[in-house]
Amino acid sequence: MSYKKLMFAVLLVFIACTVQAQETLKQFDGIKGRSYHADFYDGKSCDSCHDSKKPLNLPADDACLSCHDLDDLIKATERAKDEMGQNPHNNMHFGKDVPCMECHGEHQPREHMCQGCHSFKYKKFKQ
Amino acid sequence: MKEEKGHQADRRKFLVGMGIAGAAATATLASPALAVAGNRCETKWDQEHEVVIIGSGFAGLAAAIQAKRLGAKSVVIFEKMAVFGGNSAVNGGLFAAPNTALQKKEGVKDSPERMAADQAKAGRGIANEEQLLHVAKRANEALQMTIDAGAEYFPYLQQLGGHSVPRTYQTTVAVGSGITQPLLNECKKLGVRLVNRTKFESLIFDDKGKVVGAKIREGYYFGRGKEGSPVNVRAARGVLIATGGFARNVGLRSAQDPTLTAEVGSTNPPNATGEGLLELFNVGAVPVHMAHIQTGPWASADEDGFGYVSNYSIYNFAHSISVFPKTGRRFMNEIADRKTRADAQLQCRDDNGNPLPPVTITSYEHAKQHPTMKKVLKYGVGWKFDTVEDLAKHHNIPVKALKQQIEEYNGYVKKGVDEQFGKPMAKAKDKYLKAPFVTVRNWPKVHYCQGGALTDVEARVIDSSTWKPIPGLYAAGEVAGGMHGVSRLGSCSIPDCMVMGMTAAENMMKS
Repeated sequence: MSYKKLMFAVLLVFIACTVQAQETLKQFDGIKGRSYHADFYDGKSCDSCHDSKKPLNLPADDACLSCHDLDDLIKATERAKDEMGQNPHNNMHFGKDVPCMECHGEHQPREHMCQGCHSFKYKKFKQ
Repeated sequence: MKEEKGHQADRRKFLVGMGIAGAAATATLASPALAVAGNRCETKWDQEHEVVIIGSGFAGLAAAIQAKRLGAKSVVIFEKMAVFGGNSAVNGGLFAAPNTALQKKEGVKDSPERMAADQAKAGRGIANEEQLLHVAKRANEALQMTIDAGAEYFPYLQQLGGHSVPRTYQTTVAVGSGITQPLLNECKKLGVRLVNRTKFESLIFDDKGKVVGAKIREGYYFGRGKEGSPVNVRAARGVLIATGGFARNVGLRSAQDPTLTAEVGSTNPPNATGEGLLELFNVGAVPVHMAHIQTGPWASADEDGFGYVSNYSIYNFAHSISVFPKTGRRFMNEIADRKTRADAQLQCRDDNGNPLPPVTITSYEHAKQHPTMKKVLKYGVGWKFDTVEDLAKHHNIPVKALKQQIEEYNGYVKKGVDEQFGKPMAKAKDKYLKAPFVTVRNWPKVHYCQGGALTDVEARVIDSSTWKPIPGLYAAGEVAGGMHGVSRLGSCSIPDCMVMGMTAAENMMKS
């Protein structure tokens, strides 16, 4: 790899890192949403999460769990042994009971809840 | 009805109005959609429970379990936040009790009277000794309730500041959630209804001035501008207010103590705002000891909440020095009582009067004895330096003065006498300050509100106009005031919350 190409690759990685935080938040027809939920926006199926096609309220606390399996999520975010309690999906303070929306924003960026007191890094967390 | 709150005279009118509606509602409870014709306060009950508990910390959870054990058919806990446990789920998990199994094992002689006396001493003459003794007598029973529910504790006792003997248990996770999580599971097992995102708004009285229910906002999303919709919840046996303190309500706390401005953080989560307490005052409860608000001098300027530095500093202060960065000199006895230290720290300011947090310096070889040091360094809330020059440069401390201070201090370690601030040096024996060093920056945080609403030893809320208990109304935990006086000893809040919650439930079940 030439020096130029290498620098270009470094630059790309740098850009990828800086935009990674919100890279999955896309503008759909009339509303922002996550790229990996694009299917919901194609058919305007708000009721995939909300209780109606024209939502007035936030989804139920367990709405995400109709597709996402909590045990899988717990496994995916497992931490090293001395930091077991930092697993956001099964954590020391609140166990498995934190509603998804406390950390994850579908239509807007959101900071995770631990941020209030701790500076834990969750590399895969999409703001 | 909200506009009728806030003024005592208006409130009395409100009570009478509600009373008529309330009485009618009671009479026709079978008909769910009740509307009282000709009354300006039309009330219908949306729900009915035997026992209504506001707040899901130690007090609320203990009350719910006790009520269920005493045969309550329907117990509900309303929690303002998305998650259960409140401030209890993030506290230090330290539980003081006399005559426990661990004291027996370690051969510690103790008694409820001795524990209450230790606490009364820290209360500096204004603590409620009857309540302290009541809690101390039943603390072991409360501890057993947590163990039965599955809480796990370190197999040794600790002796915290102000306690004359070791009597403090700590959860193996060193956090209060080591208790709230098992108690929540127990509540679920017993069929307690747990409802999150529900905010207590006001109490509902009958015409005799008895609390018969509460107005609750369902679908309340804290911090998102979603206030939810009100429902009227009837409480057949009573309402327990277990909503905690007001450490995060800057207006309320700085009105009591003007030093506690917004620049002083808190170890509590942001929801510790005290609206439950304010509603108690609204209905005539007696404010007590409101200005006695405890700050923790072991907290950090560089992290929010209790964080990692608190436990790190609690362990290390005895063999460390805290210096004012501007001068490089010490400014306090690092193991004085909480209030003495916090007051001294708040004086540490730059030329513009802005906070300039003191730097606590510990030898690496001593700091590393405590597991928190790893976390403090890993999460960037503490720093390690190989030389005093590097340390001074990083923290912008005059290096010459700092070297001089360290040399003087090491002289005190050698002599066993702190000539500067009279710090007891027994625990600093042979622990000279030398490189490499670890530093943290301390700044006090509001930790606990000793003040609150006056209750009697039965957890009943006292009415300021009659000096009698308000029928049907109970308060337990930090929201209740006066038990601890000027200073609460560490590890004495959990037994207070648990025992008074249990007591409230027992009285409700007798009613």
